[in-house]
This record gives sequence, structure tokens and C-alpha cells, in this order.
Amino acid sequence: MKKQLGRLILILISSFMIIPFLYMFMTSLRVTYTAYNFKFALDDLTLKNYREIFYNTSFIIYFLNSLFISLSGVVLNVVFSSMAGYAFAKLEFKGREKIFFFMLLTLIIPSQVTLLPLYVIMRHLGWLNTYMALILPLPTAVGVFIMRQSILKIPRDLMDSARIDGCSEFRIFMEIVLPLIRPAIIALSIFTFVGAWNEFLWPLIATTSNSMRTLTVGMASMNAQYTVNYGLVMAGATMTFLPSFIFYILLQRQFEEGVALSGLKG
Amino acid sequence: MQNVEILLIDEKPKKRFCIKRLAGKGKPYGFIGPLSLLLFTFYVIPIFLSIYFSFTDYNIIKKPGFIGLSNYRDLLLDETFKASIKNTFIFTLGVVPAQTIFSLFMASWLVSRGKSRLTEFVKGAMFIPVISSMVLVSIVWRILLNGEGSPLNMILNILNITQPNWLGDSSIVLFVLMGITVWKNTGYFMILYIAGLMEIPKNYTEAARVDGAGRWRVFYHITLPLLKPTTIMVVFLGMVWSLQTFDLIYTLTGGGPGNASMTLVLHIYNNAFKNFNAGYAMTIANILLFFSAMAAIVQKSFLKKEKSEVY
Repeated sequence: MKKQLGRLILILISSFMIIPFLYMFMTSLRVTYTAYNFKFALDDLTLKNYREIFYNTSFIIYFLNSLFISLSGVVLNVVFSSMAGYAFAKLEFKGREKIFFFMLLTLIIPSQVTLLPLYVIMRHLGWLNTYMALILPLPTAVGVFIMRQSILKIPRDLMDSARIDGCSEFRIFMEIVLPLIRPAIIALSIFTFVGAWNEFLWPLIATTSNSMRTLTVGMASMNAQYTVNYGLVMAGATMTFLPSFIFYILLQRQFEEGVALSGLKG
Repeated sequence: MQNVEILLIDEKPKKRFCIKRLAGKGKPYGFIGPLSLLLFTFYVIPIFLSIYFSFTDYNIIKKPGFIGLSNYRDLLLDETFKASIKNTFIFTLGVVPAQTIFSLFMASWLVSRGKSRLTEFVKGAMFIPVISSMVLVSIVWRILLNGEGSPLNMILNILNITQPNWLGDSSIVLFVLMGITVWKNTGYFMILYIAGLMEIPKNYTEAARVDGAGRWRVFYHITLPLLKPTTIMVVFLGMVWSLQTFDLIYTLTGGGPGNASMTLVLHIYNNAFKNFNAGYAMTIANILLFFSAMAAIVQKSFLKKEKSEVY
């Protein structure tokens, strides 16, 4: 009896988490100008809203922009972070601990503090309204931390024997280290992707031209413009939600490991 | 070992990669170089710029002119700033304990139930708000909360409870936003707690159980102290995130009604990009930086103490 009650409460809590998204999805399948006919009947479902947003060139541009920026951010972050993580974990050099500490220190800087100076820097570089401005600031020190932690676990002998065989440092990194830290790379990739995909404030500021906007920025303005057709807004919202959701479903375990790893930093 | 390595590399030069040549003797610096450059350009330089701008009347368009402490003096007279400080603190003080307790509760409940289809489902469900963007969350919640015929209000209607004006009533709007934030963040912290709970050796709790300690006592005297590092992390992250709340409020209420949900970051944004008072915006930003740094220092000192006690 007690066990049954516990199960019921757990399901209730889960529903509370899911229902808003279910509602979003259900509304997206209806042509509704009221949004307030909350019903789960399946009779008047239609894909019209989806057809409409995919005929909307702006929406497709936003979607592709978000996709390109997020994927580039993933590549940039994984490459740079794993390189730095390798150096911090396995190479000896002057000031190693200090530089690592200072890198981690950048994590406490609220991105909102750097926002306006970043805007000024980007304007001086002439990078506003370019992919450069949207992609280059994506890597953070979290990646180095995750990479360093997992590279530390690789036994030193493995690298030493490669070195004696005459393998260059770069080849050791490419051919020995990278394959061994694949789980961490996947975790960091999903992490970066979801973070970049959901980013809002910086793209809002760094872009003024419609052709450079990302999906979140586009959605926020779409929400203001089309408040009459909730179905359309919800179709857009569903499309915004879907990529992260698919990523999460496919790679749930690595995702959770990534959270645990990045959150447990000292 | 190091000498051998250098000798070997010197004796037979292999084909040279671009990065290797670039790095030369300072190979390690070549590895950390690219990231250091990005972090330096996009985090360190902005901090110094931010401090510099706060002493100027910069407005993005014209050249900044030095005006001393006048921006800081203006803070004291700015009613919106006072409201934003107050709201940010209320927000943080409400959200952090709520999401910490809720996530700890959920994590220990799920772990104690063991792995089953239900617990995996709950874990997944809790995580759905985490992976969705704040913009999306606000769009959906706005529709759920607004209007007489909205789903939530319909349920309240059936239960015969008068529906409050969730986002338009200045006495409750902040609490509604806090609720949504807790709803969104709990899944994330729950995962942290689950990871922390998994690290506790089973024989600790088992030994206590054998000695006759009840479930609650085991939790209070063994589990909770061992989870302290995780808790410090959860509280720290929760504080930093709460201090930085923007997306939700920007899209949901715009700080209103009045200044009832104005926060520090929204005030920064408005001053920088709406009122074109960038120097002043940076002054507020430096206050925010100060609070974040305080949170980090407190966290560090707690962690230090923690290490000497436990390890």
C-alpha cells in the first residue's frame, strides 16, 4: 500500500514536469487562436502549423543558424578543451597550476557582466552580426575541467612508451589520448550543444539582422508577434525543444555523467 | 625521463605538424594556447573594460569620458536599482533552499528505490525542463498562466479557487517566477545529488542500520554529512544562477508590473541596450560581479574546511 502511494506521488511529480511540454506539443497540432481550449481529444489534429513554419524562410534561417552555431561551438570547445586538458593533466610546464586556477576562475564571472564589454570588443573587431561573434565566445573553462579529469585517469606509462617509440606529443594526443576519453568528449559535446542551442541573451545583443538570428531569439520575437495563433508559436517552440530532447534521449547516460562531472568541481 | 624524451626528439626529427612547430620548445603552451586566448579575450579583458567603463559616461556611441565615482553615487538614488537588488535577493533566498531541498529529496528517494523502470522515467521527466531553453519555458508558462481559460486557471476554477492574476499582480509575480525556476532547475541538481549519493560506500549506511539506527537517523547522521561537498556545490551554483536570472523575466514579465520583478541583470540590460547608459550599466554589473565573487569565496572556504574534516 505504502509502495503504491509512493509510486503514485512519483508519477504525479513527473506529470507536473512533463505536462507543460505535452501541452506545448498538443497545442502545436491545432490551429487555435484561443490557446485556451485545453483538451486532450485527438479529433482535430493537424500538421498545418508545422507546414506553415517550414514554409516561413525566417524560421528555417533561425533553425539553421542555431544548428550551425551549436555544432561549431561543439567542435571548437571539444578540440580546444581537450588540448588544454591534456597539457594540464600530463605535461609539465611552468605555471601549470596557476594558469589552470585562473582558467577556472573565469567560471565565476557572470556572463552578463562581460556582455557589454564583449559587445564593444566585437564591434571593434567588426564581428557583430557574424558567426564569429556567436561562436567564438562559446568555449568555457568547464570543458578543460571535464577533459583534465578524465585524462588524469589515463596511465602515464602508456604515453611514456609511445614517447620512447618516437611518437610526437601531438600524435600521442591524437592517437592515444583522444580515443580513450570518448565518454568525456560525448558528455562535453552534448553539454556544449544544449548550452549553445538554448543561449538567448548574447545572440539577442550580438545580432540585429534577421538573417543572423538564432532560434531562441526568433522564438521570443515570434511570441510577441503572433500571440494570436498559439498553435504556430507552439509548433516553433516544439521545434526548438526537439534537438536537445533527441540528444538527451539518445545519450541520457553520458549526459547525466557530464552534469555530475561538471557540477562536482571544487 | 624528461631528458631521454628530449634526446629522442632531437635525434630523429619526425615530420613536423603545424601545431608542433608553432609550439616549438614550449609545446605545452601550444596545447593550452588557443583556449587561453579565447578565455582571455572574452572573459578577462571584458572584466577590466567593465571596471573601466563604470567610471565613465560611455553610451556605446560616443567616446567614454571619465566621470569618477558619479555612477556609483547614482546607484544610491536609483529606486529601480534598489528594487532590483531587493528582488534578486528575495529570489535567491527563496529559490536556493527550495530547489536544494526538493532535489535532495527526489535524489534520495530515487536512489533508495533502486533502479527500476519507474525511477528511470522519473529521472528523465525531471530532466526535461533542464534541457529546454528558458525562452521556451517562458513561452509555455505564459500561456499556461495567462487568461481566464488557461489550463491551470480552469483547474482552479473547477476546484472553486479564485484565480490570481499570476503575472500581473505585483504581490505574487516574483513568487510565480521563483516557482518556475525551481521547477526548471531541480532536475539538474537532482542529478548532482544522485551522483553524490552513489559515491557513498554502501557499508557505511549498512553498518549504521545493523547498529539499529533508523532510516531518518542514518540519513541525518551519515548521508547528509557525506553529501556536504555536493550540497555546497548545489547551493553555490544555485546562488550564481539566481543572481544571473534574466531570460525568464525578460520574456515573461519584462520586470513588471512596475518594478515588482525587476532583477539586477534586467536592469543592466535595460541601461546598456535600451537607455544607452552603458557606463551606468557596467556599474551595476560590477555590483553583480562582487556578489558572485563573494559566493565563490564563501564556497571555497567551505570546501577547504570540508576537506580537512573529512579527508
